Amino acid sequence: MQLTFSAVLALVASATLGAVLLGAVASRIARPVPLAAGVGAVAGLVGPLLFYVPLRFCTFGPEAEPVDLLFGLTLGATGTLLALRIARTLLDPAGAKQRAVKRDTTTHGVFRGHPFLPWVLLAPTLLILILFLYWPALYTLDLSTQLVRLGAPFSVDRCVLNFTELIGPSSPTTTFGVLLATLVLFVAGAWLDRRGDSRSERWGSWLTTLGVGTTLLFLYLLWTSSYQRVFTVTLIISAGTVVIGLVISIVIAYLAYQPMRGGAIYRTLLIWPYAISPPIAGILFFVIFDPNAGIIEHWLNTLFGITLPNYRQDPMLAQALVILASVWKTLGYNLLFYIAGLQNVRTDLLEAASIDGANIWQRFRHVVIPALSPITFFLVVTNLTYAFFETFGTIDYLTAGGPAGATSVAMYEIYRVAIPGRDLGRGAAQSLILFAGVIALTAWQFRSTGRRVSYGN
Amino acid sequence: MKRFRGATRATALLSVAALLLTACGDTTNNDEDATTGDVTDEETEATEAPAETDEEETDAEPEPEPVPEDVVAVPVWIAFTDGRLDWTRQVAEDFNQQIEGYAITIEGYDAYEPLFDATLLAVDQGNPPAVVQYFEAATTEAADAVSAAGEPLFTSVEAAIAGRDEILGVPVVIDDVVDAALNYYTLEGEMRSMAWNTSSAIMFNNMTMLEEYEVDIPETWQDVEEACETIMSSDDPPPDCITWPNHSWFTEQAIARQDEVLGNNDNGRTDRATEVYLETDAMIDWLDWWKQLQDDGYYVYTGVQRDWTGTYNAFAAQQVPFLIYSSSDTTLLTDEGEQAGFEVETSFFPYNAESDDGGYIIGGASLWLIDGLEQEVEDAALAFMNYLSNPENAADWHRETGYIPITNEAVDQLEGEGWFDESPNSRTANEQLDAAPDSPATAGVLMGNFVAIRDVITEAIEDILVNDLDPAERMAEAQTSGQQLLDEYNSLVVGG
Repeated sequence: MQLTFSAVLALVASATLGAVLLGAVASRIARPVPLAAGVGAVAGLVGPLLFYVPLRFCTFGPEAEPVDLLFGLTLGATGTLLALRIARTLLDPAGAKQRAVKRDTTTHGVFRGHPFLPWVLLAPTLLILILFLYWPALYTLDLSTQLVRLGAPFSVDRCVLNFTELIGPSSPTTTFGVLLATLVLFVAGAWLDRRGDSRSERWGSWLTTLGVGTTLLFLYLLWTSSYQRVFTVTLIISAGTVVIGLVISIVIAYLAYQPMRGGAIYRTLLIWPYAISPPIAGILFFVIFDPNAGIIEHWLNTLFGITLPNYRQDPMLAQALVILASVWKTLGYNLLFYIAGLQNVRTDLLEAASIDGANIWQRFRHVVIPALSPITFFLVVTNLTYAFFETFGTIDYLTAGGPAGATSVAMYEIYRVAIPGRDLGRGAAQSLILFAGVIALTAWQFRSTGRRVSYGN
Repeated sequence: MKRFRGATRATALLSVAALLLTACGDTTNNDEDATTGDVTDEETEATEAPAETDEEETDAEPEPEPVPEDVVAVPVWIAFTDGRLDWTRQVAEDFNQQIEGYAITIEGYDAYEPLFDATLLAVDQGNPPAVVQYFEAATTEAADAVSAAGEPLFTSVEAAIAGRDEILGVPVVIDDVVDAALNYYTLEGEMRSMAWNTSSAIMFNNMTMLEEYEVDIPETWQDVEEACETIMSSDDPPPDCITWPNHSWFTEQAIARQDEVLGNNDNGRTDRATEVYLETDAMIDWLDWWKQLQDDGYYVYTGVQRDWTGTYNAFAAQQVPFLIYSSSDTTLLTDEGEQAGFEVETSFFPYNAESDDGGYIIGGASLWLIDGLEQEVEDAALAFMNYLSNPENAADWHRETGYIPITNEAVDQLEGEGWFDESPNSRTANEQLDAAPDSPATAGVLMGNFVAIRDVITEAIEDILVNDLDPAERMAEAQTSGQQLLDEYNSLVVGG
């Protein structure tokens, strides 16, 4: 481990930033400024060190490329921000609690008793999580900085090369411009949002949404062309699965919920696909759509003499089919929740709307959909998780990531690199990228969608 | 509402029944795939391996009986779970009965790589098998493999035999292995592992269709183009003319046939390969020819990498008159024709008439001997390896599966029995391998990370076929990735 001049510089900058920021906060909430500045400096120092020490400051080393240095600095900055956030909460616990309560409109059950009791009760779960999830996750962190292959006990330290070799924008200036635009949009959005009146709030949320768009654009531009493909494919398949899946489910749930003869049978049948595992869904769709021996091909050919286009040779068709299979697979799950949710839509509201002359569409649009928003929110989260992690089985059986990587979503790519490719280091690095992506997405969801959710109180 | 409750329950029950049926239906299909797609010899197949897992779960395979204490236990691990596993177990049983005091047990794994990983684990835990099967492309990896403790994983079979003519009364047949396999598995002048299931890439011709369209069996690439032109421009053409799986193995064959190597230092035969050659003229010519066949509407790409099943089915359903495939399925494909009413004849893999100095390479797997076994166990393991490929067993293995008879004596024996006159298609693979001149190209490449480099080749070819890319440009990209993989391997293994 060797501390270079640039490393010291980065740490000093981070510590200074921490001191200044926390000092400013302290003066606003009337706390002793020197103490706050001290805490800020320590936090500003510890935050980046959390990343630099395990990496042994390698991103500042003489062999590191500028992109490695930048990557390291970004990690450090993330560490600084996280540490400052925690420090600020520590500095003003009461205020933080108050803010949290203000933001959170949900009514929670309150746990009364000794503050340690919940931890004792959680201990068995936590123990298992630590043993089987967090500990291996730490090991993944370690692997991601190495060149190491499955089944061979050799390894070579690679610093952050496993990550940075995926970064290679074709036009760095455009990429940087988009990054700046994103930052401006977010800062402006947050500032407008803070002002409190409803008009700026609306503008603020518009800017933030735009910021999310530019973030995606920035991320797209950031990668090398081969990882760009993975990124785009993941976006297309996840967005397709979630959006199409939820729209179809809410419509079908609404229809199936109407009182009619044999409604229970329909509802039972509709939930059925949920009981099928993703690989089986893949096999079923394979049997249906197989261009050589599939059921559809057979009937089209016998009845009309038409040949079905081969989805395994057409990237668009392959993606569409994966989305279709995933939508079908999640349909039962979504319906289960939507039908349960529909039972809680207050009939007096619906009746009142009917009396006011609202037709079925208007009742659906203005009463049912808002009433279902907590369920929609929950389903967006679970369906996204499904799209990210569980479509694997469907894809593996249906297209095996093909043709030419057109259905190789991030999760499938990780598997492809790490298991058949036996490249554990790169696989670990890619899985951390997916991990970071999922965290960012979930955080964004909780902030944006969570706020619009109406829990009916 | 209550009226429907019964109905709901009935539906639910029906659903469950239907689900079960679907599940069973799948398993049977997969079983069929596993037996028809008798070609897992080349590589672990993403699509096939899970299918075989299902199979493993559904048929309750009787566990090998516990070994009594007074006999020497010799575990042998192979990557078959189908009839080939049963065959091997039968041979092991015969061995155990003939040679007293030893118990060979055969354990079957889904695929080569899980088998290898299990071996590493078992060695680390101090409970290793004696013999494991590993595939040809991973020969360098196997030779370099070390346990977690840093000890070599395998020891040289030839060195362990140490010139003996017989071990435990079993005659040693390692010297009699046919040249193509001998050359492939000889590293630094020593046969490091014992060749076992070995095949070659040959062409299957639907003679009934060929007669109908009045074309002869094509021998060269140029002949193939001509034949396909005739067939596809006829009044009633089949959907496509020719196909083969997009598996790097076929590309390696085409390159070796043009006497071109894939790596430096004589294909890694004189010294460790440090350079990979993925954009040689031989490679680009082959890919240009392949892509042109597709552009002309002659070659059909099934859209799946390493698609043994899809290509097999296309030929069996008479959608193509020509199929280039592994010789390991010779018997199956010949029977397929007999049942569907067409005649199948095998021929050599077509070659480039403009560059034909080389010959074809083997494919398949060999048996590796674990290092550091007790003398008794090691001797029994060696005896079993030789027993498994004694003339009778090698001939039987060939008849059962379609893999080539691995020793010259086995070939003679089959010849004497009149087997080749009876089923002339089975002769092609051996003849094609025998026809290859001795050269670095036809010995096959030895290279670190070659399994991963194969995937780079396969992916690049899929990209070329699906996205209509220029072979030379795309292979330049593949060259970079391939070289990186090789450099990394060498830096890990040699430098580590």
